[in-house]
Amino acid sequence: MGCSSSLPDRNAGRLGSLNNGNSMVTDSKNLRVKLVLLGDSGVGKSCIVLRFVRGQFDPTSKVTVGASFLSQTLALQDSTTVKFEIWDTAGQERYAALAPLYYRGAAVAVVVYDITSPESFVKAKYWVKELQKHANPDIVMALVGNKADLHENRSVSVQDAQDYAEKNGMFFIETSAKTADNINQLFEEIAKRLPRTTSSS
Amino acid sequence: MDSDPGPIPPDDGPSNPNPNPRLDPEPNPQEYAQEERLCSLTLEDSGYAPASNGSLPEDIYSGDEIEEEEEPAAASVSVDEVERAAGEARASSSHGGAAWRENSEQDGNAPPSPSSSGYAGERGSSGESEIEEVGDGRASPDDWSRGKEHLDEDDASVSWRKRKKHFFVLSHSGKPIYSRYGDEHKLAGFSATLQAIISFVENSGDRVKFVRAGDHQVVFLVKGPIYLVCISCTEEPYAALRGQLELIYGQMLLILTKSVNRCFQKNPKFDMTTLLGGTDAVFSSLIHSFSWNPATFLHAYTCLPLACATRLAAAAILQDVSDSGVLFAILMCKHKVVSLVGAQKASLHPDDMLLLANFILSSESFRTSESFSPICLPRYNPMAFLYAYVHFLDGDTYLTLLTTSSDAFYHLKDCRIRIEAVLVKSNVLCEAQRSMLDGGLHVEDVPVDSSIRSGSLSPHLGLDKTAAGSLSSRMGTGGPAGLWHFIYKSVYLDQYVSSEFSAPINNSNQQKRLYRAYQKLYASMHEKGTGPNKTQFRRDENYVLLCWITQDFELYAAFDPLADKALAIKVCNRVCQWVRDLENEIFLLGASPFSW
Repeated sequence: MGCSSSLPDRNAGRLGSLNNGNSMVTDSKNLRVKLVLLGDSGVGKSCIVLRFVRGQFDPTSKVTVGASFLSQTLALQDSTTVKFEIWDTAGQERYAALAPLYYRGAAVAVVVYDITSPESFVKAKYWVKELQKHANPDIVMALVGNKADLHENRSVSVQDAQDYAEKNGMFFIETSAKTADNINQLFEEIAKRLPRTTSSS
Repeated sequence: MDSDPGPIPPDDGPSNPNPNPRLDPEPNPQEYAQEERLCSLTLEDSGYAPASNGSLPEDIYSGDEIEEEEEPAAASVSVDEVERAAGEARASSSHGGAAWRENSEQDGNAPPSPSSSGYAGERGSSGESEIEEVGDGRASPDDWSRGKEHLDEDDASVSWRKRKKHFFVLSHSGKPIYSRYGDEHKLAGFSATLQAIISFVENSGDRVKFVRAGDHQVVFLVKGPIYLVCISCTEEPYAALRGQLELIYGQMLLILTKSVNRCFQKNPKFDMTTLLGGTDAVFSSLIHSFSWNPATFLHAYTCLPLACATRLAAAAILQDVSDSGVLFAILMCKHKVVSLVGAQKASLHPDDMLLLANFILSSESFRTSESFSPICLPRYNPMAFLYAYVHFLDGDTYLTLLTTSSDAFYHLKDCRIRIEAVLVKSNVLCEAQRSMLDGGLHVEDVPVDSSIRSGSLSPHLGLDKTAAGSLSSRMGTGGPAGLWHFIYKSVYLDQYVSSEFSAPINNSNQQKRLYRAYQKLYASMHEKGTGPNKTQFRRDENYVLLCWITQDFELYAAFDPLADKALAIKVCNRVCQWVRDLENEIFLLGASPFSW
C-alpha cells in the first residue's frame, strides 16, 4: 500500500538510529538487545509485552499505533543480565510496509499468532519469510502461539506450529498473556539463545 | 419590534463610554429568529476602526446584509442536477423506504441555501428524542473511545435510519470505507447508491454539493477517488457540514497520507477498510468533537491558561530541542496547547493540530508507553509521513515531537528526557494540572467597570473573583448583562479562548446546542458572496447571540434571551478588553510557529 515513507526534502539530519539497540554488549555480563514483536493485529503482542514488563493484563483491546517502545531487564541464573529493548509493533495492515524500520538491526524477533486463529498463523509465516529475507541473518527468532488459555477454541495445532518452527530454525512456545503462562519462560529462553560472543553492531 | 433604532452619532468612536440610554423595547423572546438591523451607515462612516483596541458601537448594525430566512432564492451553492440525482437515487436504491429520501421530490427541486434557512432554532436536534446521536448528553468520553457502537445496524434497521447524523466514506467504485453507524460491509448497497448519485451528476460535467430532502440534508465531498457524505437532520449549515467532512478526510490522510490514492489507481475496486483497521475510535472521537470542540469550525486552537513565566519556561526547552532537528515540538494538555515550537519556516495549521490531538487522545495505546509512529499532517504535506514520538508525561499532558527522519527515535527519546526534567523542575506540569482543574475564563468574572481594570492583572489569570467585581450575585445566572458564554478568536494568532460553561448552560446537550448556534453564526458571517460581515445581533427563544468580526479578532457571545441590547454590546466591549488584558496568559504569543 501507500505507506512507503516518502520524506519531504527538508533535511532534518541524521539524528540517531533505531539501530542503536543492535545487540550491543555493554560488557560481557550485561547484554542489551533489541527485540521486535511481529504478528497479525489482535493476537496479543502488546499484552505479552505488558505482562512481561509490568506484570499487567488489560482485557480491553488497545490497538497499537505505529510501535511502542518498552524495556525490561532480565536477570539470569548465571548472574548475567539482559536488557530487552522491545519494539511492540502495530499489527495493522497499513503499518506492514514500515516494519523494516523496527526489525532492522534487531537481535531478536518474536513472531506471534493466536492459537484460535488460523489466519494469524498464516500471517506469522509471512513475517518469518520477510525476516528471513530482510532481517539481520543472525537474528534469533521465536514463534509464539498466544492465547493458550483458550485451548478449547484451538485451531492451530501444537504439532503444526512445532514442525514449522523447527523447519525454520526457530524456537516455539505457547503462552497466555492473560494467565501469565510461559511469558517469563519465553524471554528466558530467548536470553539463553543469544550469542554470548561479542557481536558486532 | 425595534422600530426606532435612532441615529448612531457619527462620531460614535471606539472609546465612547456612553451607554445608549434607550433600552431596547424588545420584550418578546418568543419572536422567532429575529434579526435587528438598526441603520444603514457604512462601516467607514460609523467610525469604529477594526483596530485591536476598537470597541463595538453601542448600537450595532449589519454593515452587510445577513441572509434571512425569507431569501431562499439566494442559493449560491445549489446544484442544477440535484433533483435528477435524487430521482436517480430513488431509482437505483434497493431500499426505497429510507426516510431521508422520501420527501426529496417535494423539496429537492428548490434547495434553499443552507445558511439562508435561517435560525430555525435547534428543532432538528432537540425535538424528538427517541434516538440521539452517540454522545448526546449521557456520553462520557469513554463511550466513543471504545470504538464504533451499533455494529449490528444496517440501512434496513429502523434505529439506523432514525439517527440524526450519519457520516459515510466510500470509494469511487462505491465500496464502503467508513460509516459512523453500522457495519460498513453491510452497507455496500447503500454506498453504491451514494456513489450512483455522485457519478450521475459527475457524468454530466457537474458536481453535487448537497441535496435537501425534507428535514434532511445530504452533503457530498469528493476527494479524488474518495467520496465523503453526511446525511443530517441537525439543521447545521451546509458550510459547517462540509467543513466536518473535510476534517474527516484530513483525519484519514493523517493516518494514511494522500498516497493511498495510488492504491485506487492500481485497482479501482481496492478495499480501503483494511488500511483503516482499528481506527474506529479515532473517527468516532472526531465526529463527537464536532458537537463540543469549537476548534472544529473556528479553525483555531486554544491554549491552556498559564502564567506567562510558566509558558515561557516550557517554550524555552522546546525551542532548545527543536534547534536539534525536531520539526515540531508540541506540549499539550488534552486538547489545549501548553507550548508549541516549530523549526524555522515550518508552520503548523490549527486543523492539523486538531487532527493530531484527536488521533493521539483517541488511541489508547499512546498512554501505555512511549511510541514512535508515522503520521501525516495533511495541511503541512499531505503526501508524506512524518514520524511522531509521543509520550504522556501524566494523565493529561503529553509531548509530541515530530521529525522527518524515520530513525530519530533514540534522539527524540533523549530530547523527551531532557524536556521532562526541565518541566518537572520548573513546575510546569503541576501548573498545567492546576490550570486544568481551575478552568479558564468565567463569564462571572467579566469586569463590570472597565475603569477598575485598566490593565491590572490579578495574580492567577484574573480569576480572583473578589478583585474582578463580579456581577453574578446580582444577576442570578451568568455574567454581567446576562452574558452566558463567549468565544474570542484572535485572527492573527490562529487561537481562540472560550469561556467555561456555567449555569444555565450546564449540560452537554445545551452546550452542543450553543455550539451549533455559534456554528451557524460563523457560517453566516463567513459566507462567500454576501461579503465579509462585521456585526450581527440575533435574538431567538434560546439566546441573544452577538457576533463581531474585525481584522484582528472574532467575538461570539451568547446572552440571556431577555438581555438588553445596549448593555450586551457594552459587555462585549468589556470582554474584548478583558481578553486583551489577559492575553499573555491565555494565548501563546511570539513563540508560535505562525510568527515566523
